[in-house]
Amino acid sequence: MDLELSNDQLDLRENIRAVLEGACPPAAVRAVYEGTGNAAALWEQMTHLGWPGLSVPEGAGGLGLGFVEVALLAEDLGRATAPGPLLATASQLTPALLKAKAHGEMEEVAAGRRTGALAVSERGRWRPEKPQTVAQPAANAWRISGSKTDALSGGEVSSFAVLATHGRTGAPGLFLVEASDAEARPRPSIEPTLALADVEFDGAPAKALVEPGDGSSEAVERVLQQAVVAMAMQTVGACRRILEVTLEYAKGREQYGRPIGSFQALKHRLADLLLAVERATAVCYYASLCIAEDNEGRAAATHSSKIAAGDCQRLLARDGLQLHGGIGFTWENDLHFLLKRAKAGELLCGSSRFHRSELAAILGLADRGES
Amino acid sequence: MKLRYDDDVERFRGQFQEWLDENQPTPEEMESAPVRSSAHRPPWARRWAKRMFDDGWLVPGWPPELGGRNADPVETLVYLEELDNRGIPRTTNPQGLGIVAPSLIDHGSEDQIECYAMPLLRGDLTACLGMSEPDAGSDLASLKTRAVFDGDSIVLNGQKVWTSGAHDADFCFMFCRTDPDVPKHQGISIVLVPMDAGGVTVRPLMEIVHPRFPDLNEVFLDDVTVSAENLVGALNNGWRMANDSLAHERSLVWLMSVFGNEVALKRLLELAPELLGDLGPLERAGAIDDFVGLHVDVLAARCMGYRGFARYVRGGTAPEQALMKVYTSEVRQRLALVAAELAGPAGLRPVSGRDTEVGTQEDFFSTFAGTISAGSSEIQRNIIADRVLGLPRS
Repeated sequence: MDLELSNDQLDLRENIRAVLEGACPPAAVRAVYEGTGNAAALWEQMTHLGWPGLSVPEGAGGLGLGFVEVALLAEDLGRATAPGPLLATASQLTPALLKAKAHGEMEEVAAGRRTGALAVSERGRWRPEKPQTVAQPAANAWRISGSKTDALSGGEVSSFAVLATHGRTGAPGLFLVEASDAEARPRPSIEPTLALADVEFDGAPAKALVEPGDGSSEAVERVLQQAVVAMAMQTVGACRRILEVTLEYAKGREQYGRPIGSFQALKHRLADLLLAVERATAVCYYASLCIAEDNEGRAAATHSSKIAAGDCQRLLARDGLQLHGGIGFTWENDLHFLLKRAKAGELLCGSSRFHRSELAAILGLADRGES
Repeated sequence: MKLRYDDDVERFRGQFQEWLDENQPTPEEMESAPVRSSAHRPPWARRWAKRMFDDGWLVPGWPPELGGRNADPVETLVYLEELDNRGIPRTTNPQGLGIVAPSLIDHGSEDQIECYAMPLLRGDLTACLGMSEPDAGSDLASLKTRAVFDGDSIVLNGQKVWTSGAHDADFCFMFCRTDPDVPKHQGISIVLVPMDAGGVTVRPLMEIVHPRFPDLNEVFLDDVTVSAENLVGALNNGWRMANDSLAHERSLVWLMSVFGNEVALKRLLELAPELLGDLGPLERAGAIDDFVGLHVDVLAARCMGYRGFARYVRGGTAPEQALMKVYTSEVRQRLALVAAELAGPAGLRPVSGRDTEVGTQEDFFSTFAGTISAGSSEIQRNIIADRVLGLPRS
């Protein structure tokens, strides 16, 4: 297997990174944190570049790229701690629209007129054992009722792809609900760039993207896997940046007459940070490739990517902060944007603890829910 | 990025598979004369080396006259994958094939290539590497074994230690001090020393695992005299050649550790019903979680290695060998620890042969060969910090 990016992919990443460094510097992130700015200008520029339609087919006005490219975008959105609905739209709404071949909605996404996020979690759990949100067939439409939590960019998207079960058969499906037909309540959060919100659906009119029935469970999983890998990838992107700024600090900060990065106690920890980042990056790329090529191992690879990202953020958030010393503990230093983004990434789309138990089931070590 | 290689690479794989079907050593052959050290070549292994050499499958990346077929790095990788899939050793003298032979071909004289390198490749000779000394381990460049020119001869005095396979090898690729008056890296040369030369004494070191099958040795040199023609390459150029030598297999040496970890994980999962069988629910949950972590560890080793390799193939540097070395050896150690602790007192049983068994304490101890030898994990972390991360020297 070939796990390095193609030249086109490397160019794309370089391009994304250059744009974000210019349009989303730490000062712009700080403005969101301090309530003095928002993501509007950034979103306008991203739309102008066609990023919302990255994986929308060219026939619907998109760039027609695949999931590996979506993962690369996620990596750099995490790296830049970028605010705005792009991560949700590209990695959560679009996969659902692609599954449904929803041409009209994809055109709207590519044009920047529609944004959206998955509404999956309930009561703070990505995949609750007994999901309560139901879909009732009605004349010309479905009606969705239930309470969802922790929707990514939930306070700013224009639509939701809602996971709900058929009121009668219990089969799962995904349903498109306009934000105007739901009630999104922004959540107070120490990580404001992700604009998390809880969303209430009270008989909201909906269109089925994945109709509940035979095979719908598998189809739903395929959409959700993309959200999971993208979330893992954005976490690792933030972690790689933590490593970079920590390295810069260790090289520049002098104590006892020498850079603290020359002390072996720090060197070995920094080497372990690099290992953790490379490890998680490699597994995330592998998972994104399994999804792009629709490999049979995609479920196991998806769980593995979120687990590796979880291991990575634990170490990077801890040592990134610890090795910065007192300066990293201040609001004034930009480090905390990355720390909070990495921690939020761990907690969204299923914690590593959740994905570990799912992987145990796939490996035949435990029944679901046992471990 | 892609999960499968192109069709022409897969055709190459098919070609090798067909050849293996006809030529690979049989399990009976291999069991009839188990390999006892890293320079031991039982008759079947000699025949196997010769067949590989003659048919161009010994070092596929080399030209036919050196036992290859001018394969590219990706083809060499699938070649190694196939050998691993079948559980067949490529060689029973890895240092000889991987380091000594290529170094001689790069730096040796015509006679040295004819009399040492080619017989190594054809399976007629085996070699060991004389590097570490009692006072030169991690700090290898401080080695003291002296080589003094005396007319047409070189006289060697000193001691080597941790020399793998020295008791079975035909000759040693010996690192010696030829100039004690210059900075330590600049006064080192390489000399070929036949192990039956007068004054060479080899004392096997029983190890803390399978003591009946020692691989490591002490090698004492007392006025050992060899021809001046046994000097390899230029005088006092040994350190640079050492770095070249070790670089030879760097582009692919990580693959062996990845395979080794996958074999161990497979074994662990096979043992899972037995190891988890009688555990209470909480113990069981903890153990399962350990297994899951190891699964991700092993998958990650493969992904990191293949990712770095793809970069190398496109003209970048080889996978960061230091990263792969420290990572794969520590993963293997974690796996051994989990398995051995779950096995309980039964895991205290001695292992019968040279190979270790997952689920025993001997397996756990044996993994320290990976974290200590060829640059300990601590040295690898120094290398990562200095060369990869660019941190200032201590």
